Amino acid sequence: MSGEKRKLTIKAFNINKVELGSFTEIKDNVLKLDREYLNKIDFQNEIIKDINLKIISPDRHDQYVNNILDFIPISVKALGNLGTGITHTLTGVYLLLSCADEKGRQMAEFGSSEGILSDRVIFGRAGTPAKDDYIINFEVIVKEKYLFERKAAQSVHAACDNFLDLIREKLKNIDGRKADEIHKYEEKINPDKKKIVLVKQVAGQGAMYDNQILADEPSGFKGGRSIIDMGNMPVILSPNEYRDGAIRAMT
Amino acid sequence: MGIGPSTKETSLHHFRDPLLNIINKDEDINLMGVIIVGTPQSQKEKYYVGKRAAQWAEAMQVDGAIVSADGWGNSDVDFANTIKEIAVRDIEVVGLSFIGIQGKFVVKNRYMDTIIDINKSESGIETEVVGENTVDELDAKKALAFLKLKMKR
Repeated sequence: MSGEKRKLTIKAFNINKVELGSFTEIKDNVLKLDREYLNKIDFQNEIIKDINLKIISPDRHDQYVNNILDFIPISVKALGNLGTGITHTLTGVYLLLSCADEKGRQMAEFGSSEGILSDRVIFGRAGTPAKDDYIINFEVIVKEKYLFERKAAQSVHAACDNFLDLIREKLKNIDGRKADEIHKYEEKINPDKKKIVLVKQVAGQGAMYDNQILADEPSGFKGGRSIIDMGNMPVILSPNEYRDGAIRAMT
Repeated sequence: MGIGPSTKETSLHHFRDPLLNIINKDEDINLMGVIIVGTPQSQKEKYYVGKRAAQWAEAMQVDGAIVSADGWGNSDVDFANTIKEIAVRDIEVVGLSFIGIQGKFVVKNRYMDTIIDINKSESGIETEVVGENTVDELDAKKALAFLKLKMKR
């Protein structure tokens, strides 16, 4: 059983400025977001009342954000499926998904993190951006009556995924030779060494207690399956599938 | 009780999980896979899925398991049960969970002898600050070091 198994390459492209423009573009370490994005993405307007996009530069962490549902890396498969082939990902910019209803009530279950961004986040952890990263705040406002329904949480994540597709489309076709960092991961088994497994216990109890597994794109939503819908049964991922964004947290 | 802002693992956390990075860097260890297991509502189902996860670990013929949870309170039942089910199959186990002051285990068993507290807040509570009480590299290194010691016995 020795030898080489699956191989995954993650190519990171660094972004040092994010701005609005007339189209989506990644060029010279600048990410431009199409200001007409709302006309170009599908979302459930029966549930979602409004979507606002805010670009938060590293020196503007003093602004208010609604409850933080998630920090999401912006990645796309350039070749192969999750866990194999090549992934392109952006560094220096991460998406912050937040949600409240039209009355300002927060989409949150067990405590919520709305407030001034710099007070509500410890920057530089594995799951949070660094202090000098750009943050794209995709703020969803849902209609009051749906706030605590599971389908509202799902529509919010789906809308955000559709928005990220606008960036992914450009990121997918970027010249891989221009990557700022290249990480190669090979799964090897050495029969003489101890074998271990990592068990991750994740939420699976309803709205705001869900996880989407193995979506079409890294850390994506579409094409994945909810751990709730799978009866919370254990799913085995290869280490490379896991590090390629097999889990979209919906907690 | 469940998963609050300070303990929740974001999609970004899963993408660059310190546990995976530390385990994968260690050349003395083969990581066979990552088991993702949910936390259902009812007690009966909690036991059901935890046992299935343990059975997978047994089928993989692993020597050790690291069990990590980002929730606490009612999900301690899942955590305690999954650890027990793995341990009774003669597989060494180390766990990571938020404890602090507020998150003391609501259930415990004798197999939970090596648990790493991922609390980082001074007050030991759910601070509602995102990222504060999540697993970092030091926690991951501790977990792996304890597991390697246990596997040597």
